[in-house]
Amino acid sequence: MHHVFDSMGTTVSLDWHEHGTHSGADAAARVERIFDEFDRRFSLYRTDSEASRIAAGRLRLADSSDAMREAYALALEWRTATGGVFTPNRPDGVVDLSGVVKALAIERSGELLGASDRNGDWIVNAGGDVLVSAPRTVGIVDPADRGSLLTAVTLTGTRRAVATSGSAERGDHIWRSAADEFVQATVLADDIVTADVLATAIIAGGTETLDAVTRRWNVDVLTVDATGALLATPGFRASLA
Amino acid sequence: MTTTVSAPEQRMSRPDHTRAHRRRAARAALLTFLVWASGVVAGVLFLTSSGSAPFGSLGAAISSIGILAGLVGTDFILVMLVLAARIPAIDATIGHDRAIALHRTLGKPALYLLLGHGALLTIGYAIDQGVNPVVEIANLWATPDVPLAIIAIGLLVAVVVTSLVAVRLRFSYEGWHLIHLLSYVAVAFALPHQLSLGGVLASGTVQRVYWIALYALAFGAIGIFRFIEPAVSSLRHRIRVSGVETIAPGVVSIHLTGRDLRSLGSHGGQFFVWRFWTGSTWWHSHPVSLSSVPTDTAARITVRDLGDGSRSISTIPVGTAVSLEGPYGLFTPTARTAPKLAIVAAGIGITPARALLEQSDLAPGEATLLLRASSTDDAFLWAEMAELAERKGARLYTMTGPRSAVAPTWMTAIDARRGVSLRSVFPDLLESDLYVCGPTAWLDAVEADARAAGLPAHQLHSERFDW
Amino acid sequence: MISTRRILSAVFGTLFATVIGWQVTTAVTGGASTTSSTSSGSVLPAQLPSSALKDGTFTGTSQSTRFGDVQVAITVSGGAITDVSTPVLSGNEGRSDQINHRAAPLLRSEALAAQSAQIHSVSGATYTSGAYISSLQSALDQAKV
Repeated sequence: MHHVFDSMGTTVSLDWHEHGTHSGADAAARVERIFDEFDRRFSLYRTDSEASRIAAGRLRLADSSDAMREAYALALEWRTATGGVFTPNRPDGVVDLSGVVKALAIERSGELLGASDRNGDWIVNAGGDVLVSAPRTVGIVDPADRGSLLTAVTLTGTRRAVATSGSAERGDHIWRSAADEFVQATVLADDIVTADVLATAIIAGGTETLDAVTRRWNVDVLTVDATGALLATPGFRASLA
Repeated sequence: MTTTVSAPEQRMSRPDHTRAHRRRAARAALLTFLVWASGVVAGVLFLTSSGSAPFGSLGAAISSIGILAGLVGTDFILVMLVLAARIPAIDATIGHDRAIALHRTLGKPALYLLLGHGALLTIGYAIDQGVNPVVEIANLWATPDVPLAIIAIGLLVAVVVTSLVAVRLRFSYEGWHLIHLLSYVAVAFALPHQLSLGGVLASGTVQRVYWIALYALAFGAIGIFRFIEPAVSSLRHRIRVSGVETIAPGVVSIHLTGRDLRSLGSHGGQFFVWRFWTGSTWWHSHPVSLSSVPTDTAARITVRDLGDGSRSISTIPVGTAVSLEGPYGLFTPTARTAPKLAIVAAGIGITPARALLEQSDLAPGEATLLLRASSTDDAFLWAEMAELAERKGARLYTMTGPRSAVAPTWMTAIDARRGVSLRSVFPDLLESDLYVCGPTAWLDAVEADARAAGLPAHQLHSERFDW
Repeated sequence: MISTRRILSAVFGTLFATVIGWQVTTAVTGGASTTSSTSSGSVLPAQLPSSALKDGTFTGTSQSTRFGDVQVAITVSGGAITDVSTPVLSGNEGRSDQINHRAAPLLRSEALAAQSAQIHSVSGATYTSGAYISSLQSALDQAKV
């Protein structure tokens, strides 16, 4: 079954099987609710969200909800792990967790939808970040022509997540420290948070970060530079559909 | 034929040898335990500091075991350096030759572990990568600091191979030693990849403290006890040759002068490694015992003259500067474990025995000596021994004559047929410390006899002149 | 007179003890003056009563991360966390699990050739809901309905 809804400023596409412990409509509603909860708590575009209240100084981070502080801690861990290339701290001092929040929502949805063998296969695609429950083929958009595909990969083995980050993307969680070396980076990983954060970090940090990421994490990467040239890790190459 | 000499002298309090021995034995056991435990510690520190899922996939598991092997192997190499550094505390506990024996025991395991480290990492990474190991080797070679590490393993292989007995005999001692020093180079070459690719020096961890401590111990000890101490000692004591005296065919006593020689800190029976600074002899080092207890300004060593031509010790001119390392060795009164003392010395082996006797604090009848020589040419310093024996109330026997050509024995053929044995010469053998010194083959025979008579290993002290 | 050996042994022992003592102290005090960290190692404590957040700068224990060793310092002012910084980044790099997954050039033709299989989803840089409508994912979604 199939459901599409808007959340967090983007569109979420959901595919799932109707048999299993959750009925079809129930699954869609619950996933939508997860995204809604995250959006209401973390969106800086809603003036009454917890994040906006903290940004405005009306709520102290120390007094915020467990979910807020957990997300913040997670973002900080990734900040330290990437040496500051990925950071939730905007230059203007506002804490912007949108870089992890979307991935957290996808991850929570995946937990809800459950394991494939019990509930059937599913796919959650939130604004171009994809999480699957079983091997699937995912197309990668060509940044120069968003109406065509650059390539397609099959997620095999332990790989479940694909995240793509682009320099055209005006996410506030990308603060570029290098010249625009890559216009797009796609990361294949075992979980969506890792894929999302590292894709963002590679766009922000350029070649140096790309090398460090491929050295340190068990992920596969495809990057596109301004001339359209591609770089791919051996594992990515092996995953080409 | 044997002769006896004895005379009494009164003494009051007796040093307690058994307790001292037990304490030293405990320290020796602790030292041996620490040597092997350090490998375990290195491994455990790695496993407990491991990041996420080091054994998650087959490739990662193999790689982790490879890293484990590398850490334990490096730990053993560093411990080997510590053992070879001639740290006084180690020498006083187990003696230099046992330290070197322990050093040798670690050699092959260390090398195998490091070779395993390289192999397992190559295979593990190759599996994870999905490439074949040959491609992985090329990849590894392309990684910074890895080529140096590969060269390091190559150097270690060379060091270990040349130390195998069959190969070592082909080299002169100095040549072999020079190759052996390449192990320092190997350790230095391996260090960059440990820092850049390994995480052992992550700050704030126990692991970091451990490795820094081990490196500091190994290189600090070598720096201080192999280089600084000899240099300072030689400058401080200003030892010069004051005379060369031939006391028997092919045997010379070298008389030395200097300052504060008593603070060399040697106990009778210990040896130093001497170097005589003439153009042709500086290259050789001589492990030789003092043949008397030094005064403040005079010392003496007695040595077989084995060099030829200008390398002969007997041609060293008076006034030659002498440098020394030491003192080393447990052939001393402080190594005593039992109430009585038995000394058997043959030929040049009499030198440490004489110093040992001179330094020992003995009750009348506590000590018995047997001096062995194959002919009167070999019987030097015997008059001094007789005089010392008389002063200390010790019984002295001598045995002169060639060894039996037929039966394997350390005695003369005549005495062997007469039924002379260690027990007959030393009736209290089993309550004695037996100190033996002499040529290796002869010494082995004495030791075998002593063990066969039931003498416990800790009561047997030997000084082999072949290292 | 004291033997050279005894003097040098004492010197060596003192130097060694100093080095070790210094290392142990830096290891132990790396985590000074913070409220307790959670067992997962995150900087923020799990439960923080509002009165406990005093003004000042607090430094967390040094953590070994994949990019090196990092300490995280938080600055609190007026009861709010106003800055999070990483004052210490050692030159050492963390343990490397895979040292050779380098990205290498890939021919566009090779990449394009991989589209023959059936696509189940499309990944691209995040689109707004407005941009979704003209996106490939939208086309795919419509085909599924």
